[in-house]
Amino acid sequence: MLGKKIKNGSIEDTLNRFLKDDQHLILGFEKGENGVSLRAFKNHLDHYSLLNPIFSTNGALHLRRLFSKGTKIILMLRPCEIRAYIELIKLNQIEREDIIAVSIDCLGAVSSKDKTDDIPTEADQLREYFKKTDTIRWACNVCRERRGVVGDAGIRIDRDGLFWAFSYTEKGDSFLSLIEGESEESKTEMLMSGSEKQDQFQIDMKTFSKDFSKCIMCMNCRDMCPVCYCIDCVFNGDEYLPKGDALLNKILRSGPVQLPQGKELFHFIRMYHVSQTCVGCGACEEACPQGIPLTKYFKGTSERLQSMFSYMSGRSFDEPIPYVTFLEDELKDAED
Amino acid sequence: MLQDKAEKNPEIIGFACSYCTFKASEMAGSLRMKYPDGVKLVQVPCSSRVDPAFVIKAIFEGADGVFVAGCHPGDCHFIKGNYFTRRKIAALKEMFDAFSMNDKLRLFWVSAAEARRFVEKVTGMYNEIKERKNVRKEN
Repeated sequence: MLGKKIKNGSIEDTLNRFLKDDQHLILGFEKGENGVSLRAFKNHLDHYSLLNPIFSTNGALHLRRLFSKGTKIILMLRPCEIRAYIELIKLNQIEREDIIAVSIDCLGAVSSKDKTDDIPTEADQLREYFKKTDTIRWACNVCRERRGVVGDAGIRIDRDGLFWAFSYTEKGDSFLSLIEGESEESKTEMLMSGSEKQDQFQIDMKTFSKDFSKCIMCMNCRDMCPVCYCIDCVFNGDEYLPKGDALLNKILRSGPVQLPQGKELFHFIRMYHVSQTCVGCGACEEACPQGIPLTKYFKGTSERLQSMFSYMSGRSFDEPIPYVTFLEDELKDAED
Repeated sequence: MLQDKAEKNPEIIGFACSYCTFKASEMAGSLRMKYPDGVKLVQVPCSSRVDPAFVIKAIFEGADGVFVAGCHPGDCHFIKGNYFTRRKIAALKEMFDAFSMNDKLRLFWVSAAEARRFVEKVTGMYNEIKERKNVRKEN
């Protein structure tokens, strides 16, 4: 594939040149005293880091309802974040016009809840680090797409430790034209390869109830989910989770309830609602104060449901979300 | 005794499209055909109006079974509504399958003229669920 080799430090130069314009922004990662975090850069890059080995939130969360109004933005994010961004475009939550999405090969990340102060940010050191320890998040360990092959352009690492930039769309071409140097054929194999297929998710209700019995219904998982985008969530009103007098009426009418009510209902419905758009980033688990293994359930069901329609969330801009389209001649055995 | 009998009878919620299945149920009524008391129909303007959240809510709040019924594919009053239903409910069934409770949800296609088919389908589902429920009770 034709790509551009990135020389040491040249990605910072490229992005700095792009940032000279006042109307240009970059969303990327910043090395700070307390680890690496997401940052919107304006005018100049400071302590820029290409890789982010700490996962706290999914960056696409901050792009929801973003209509750039002429501001050009480059996203330099992980593949899972770019995939969530692509799903949000399909759901009409982001205007794609002025945004260039660049996915960067992800070597995995540790949870922001864990100890994070001795983690390197350079690719080769990070690889060694994850070889030595098993602190990598479960969601990253079973990730479906850790390669920077989604979005408009991608930054890949080859086996020699060199960085390459590849373009996948016309906008990707304009990103590549910012980088100095000529396009050339990449001969070495890339470091990251596609992940193997996971077993089909299967569980029983008993385990499900047990796992979610700890839930306190804070709904942080919903609020931190990048693709759970509804402004007026069904759980905000009294219809699904009655409160106050409505709750009293329900108890008098239909018997005693456990409080907080609707734990299983809430997660089950949410699991269905995000089933085709879930990218399996694990932001929900990261946000859960009770440490419920949410990723196992959300990723498991979403992969199973997406495979029904041979769909993969965030794989491309053109694939429509399965629930908003149909084929006349399909699912013959759906009827009982 | 009366209470015992009531406990063994399952409750089934049915979401019925007002243009076909609900019409079929009305016709079944006017033809004096009988279907079980435990089947409660909810009229919806089109089967694609059924957000799977309704189905999940019905099941988690105590229904023993839920069915979604609409016009045959291609016959939708709104041209293509039931194609969306088919995708959504098929996916929901797959999800119930993943949680090992696939016996609770059904999808029927019943047109306005098929009163007999409606009664057969509903009674069949009711009996199956009732049988399973009573076996579980005895153990």
